[in-house]
Amino acid sequence: MLESLLSQAVNGLVLGFIYVLIAVGLSITFGLLGIINFAHGAFFALGAYVAYQLYQMFGWPAVVFAPIIVGVVGMVVEVVLIRRLYGKEPLISLIVTFALGLLIEALIRVFWGSDGKPLSPPSALTGVFEYGPLLITNYRVAVLLATALTLAALWAFLSYTPYGRILRAGGRDPEMVDMLGINLPRLLTAAFGLGCAIAAIAGVLAGPLWTVSPSMATNAIMPAFVVVAIGGLGSFRGAVFAGLAVGVVISLTIQFKPDAAAASMYAFMFLMLLLRPRGLFGERWERFE
Amino acid sequence: MNESHTMSACGSIGARAGLVALVFGLAASFGALAQTSGPIKIGMIYAKQGPSASLGEFLAHGTELALGQAGNNVLGRPVELTWLDEADPQVAQQNMQKAINEYKVIAVVGGNSSASALAMMSVASREKIPLILPGAAASEITGKNCNRYTFRTQATVPVQMRGLMPYVSQLGKKVYFITPSYAFGQDILRSSRAMLKEVGLTEVGTDEVPVNTADYSSYILKIRQAKPDVVVGGLVGLDLSNFLKQWNELGMKDKIPFVEIAVSDTDFWNVGPVASTGIYVKPWYYNNPDNTSSEKKFVADFTNKYGRPPSDKAWSGWIAMRSLLESIEQANSTDSAAIITALEKWRYTEGKFPAFYREWDHQLIKPAVIVQIKKDITDKWDYFNVLKLTSDTEAETAKSFGTREEIGCKMGPI
Repeated sequence: MLESLLSQAVNGLVLGFIYVLIAVGLSITFGLLGIINFAHGAFFALGAYVAYQLYQMFGWPAVVFAPIIVGVVGMVVEVVLIRRLYGKEPLISLIVTFALGLLIEALIRVFWGSDGKPLSPPSALTGVFEYGPLLITNYRVAVLLATALTLAALWAFLSYTPYGRILRAGGRDPEMVDMLGINLPRLLTAAFGLGCAIAAIAGVLAGPLWTVSPSMATNAIMPAFVVVAIGGLGSFRGAVFAGLAVGVVISLTIQFKPDAAAASMYAFMFLMLLLRPRGLFGERWERFE
Repeated sequence: MNESHTMSACGSIGARAGLVALVFGLAASFGALAQTSGPIKIGMIYAKQGPSASLGEFLAHGTELALGQAGNNVLGRPVELTWLDEADPQVAQQNMQKAINEYKVIAVVGGNSSASALAMMSVASREKIPLILPGAAASEITGKNCNRYTFRTQATVPVQMRGLMPYVSQLGKKVYFITPSYAFGQDILRSSRAMLKEVGLTEVGTDEVPVNTADYSSYILKIRQAKPDVVVGGLVGLDLSNFLKQWNELGMKDKIPFVEIAVSDTDFWNVGPVASTGIYVKPWYYNNPDNTSSEKKFVADFTNKYGRPPSDKAWSGWIAMRSLLESIEQANSTDSAAIITALEKWRYTEGKFPAFYREWDHQLIKPAVIVQIKKDITDKWDYFNVLKLTSDTEAETAKSFGTREEIGCKMGPI
């Protein structure tokens, strides 16, 4: 039994890393823009589809451009639509981004069709790593490393570069940043593009694991919201801890009560929010008080 | 004075009521006229979104092609097809009601998921509108929940499991089940467990999986721990695609055989040849040499129109629509009772033996096909070798679909 638990816990951590990456983009968009982006899952799916297209046309190395392309799409969407939502009631941004998500999913169906697209891990990353009860595939190890690297780079960017500091300051006090002569609209465009690009990185990494299909957006968005709610809205650190915890909770539930696996993360969220209504690392947001 | 006012008011109200009644009466007459002279409206309820969207697309294309082959008309009148979504049971049920109330359809072809089908057929019965289900394999649909207005083309779960079980027992003695946690999955478990002893199998584990699961790695680890000889699945659409992809990724594809019933070609086209493996039962296969001449024409027409061969779902939509159109012609009427009676008498006579809706449960009596993934898949679409049918003779087929007592369907009058 101990072996089974260990095996599931390790698998849950790996799964959790994917949830972390999906949720971090969502958390950043909220933290920096104050927008709860319901279309985040659609950008995740778009990342997987663009990666599939680039792979078909140019091979595996080209997929690194997928997050950049989706980031640019995100920036265009911010200029055309999202910036009209700043300062408005959160409910409006929820409805508009929900509609945006449906629109992107519909466009994916128009361009790529309703059926899934076969995208397998690169041949260099196939194979499994077995150690006693533990079984991890080489591709999942690569996903884990890529996620850790992305998170570290993101943290360093937000914490130690002037651009990152300006972005964070803009999230907390946009008026003051504006008064300091910084081009705030351009900053917000970049912030939204960054959130979309991170969603796309998650999509690129998840593409060879899950079937690339329009409905992968729905599969991604709910765990992402649960992770963000547990970790605390806008908290980078919270998204990391909560994502890993949700992964482990789901895996352990599958071991003991598989039919409750989908419900387990919601039960976990319910419990955590009872204990800490702001989430694990949630802070007080003056703008929303 | 007051009385006269009252009388006058009453008269006025009466006149208005009469006018309203006249308007409604005229509208109804025009409506009735439209029903007998305008286009005939038929509803399609297939998934447009979610994990079954690709199945829905093939179902719709097959249904549309049957109509196209019939010249887009029936009884000499044009047919208008309206496609509504089958996203989940609730949406499917609402859209069934909408198709009847708003679009004024005379019949509906649709319902791929057993859960949606069960929700839709209650509306069909209440509104007295013929419903032909091209999917939905759960036994109760033509069993204890059957009704006079619902017909089903896909072989039931017990029929398909009975066809599959001899292959399962050849692969080993210890079996692990991974099934979806709704009516279809529960039916697989119930039917299989009833046969386990008979074929000498032991159940070593079971997972009932929530629909729309993206990551199966934890389930696969459990299966690995249980060390079964064979895994019997019941996952549907993209859920099966995700499972097969991760089954291959975790190195299990060549270690433990995987078998399943009621699959569709798209489940495998979605994952590609690398991850595809196993033995399956499905309603039909486009590259089966024993296909009838009209099925071969269907394959040719479909491939010409859509640039790819039809999946079994396309065939299911095609046969469902074909049976409906031929029955409307036979009934020479759009009246619901006449169509039901004609459907109960409808026969597809091109095969080795006729396929038909059994009069007392409305189940299409036609064997399913057992297929195996090819060792080397060289064609983009042709993944399977046909092993055999679930039954080979007319008598064997009738027997495999069960007796009236076993099925338990009690239908009321029309």
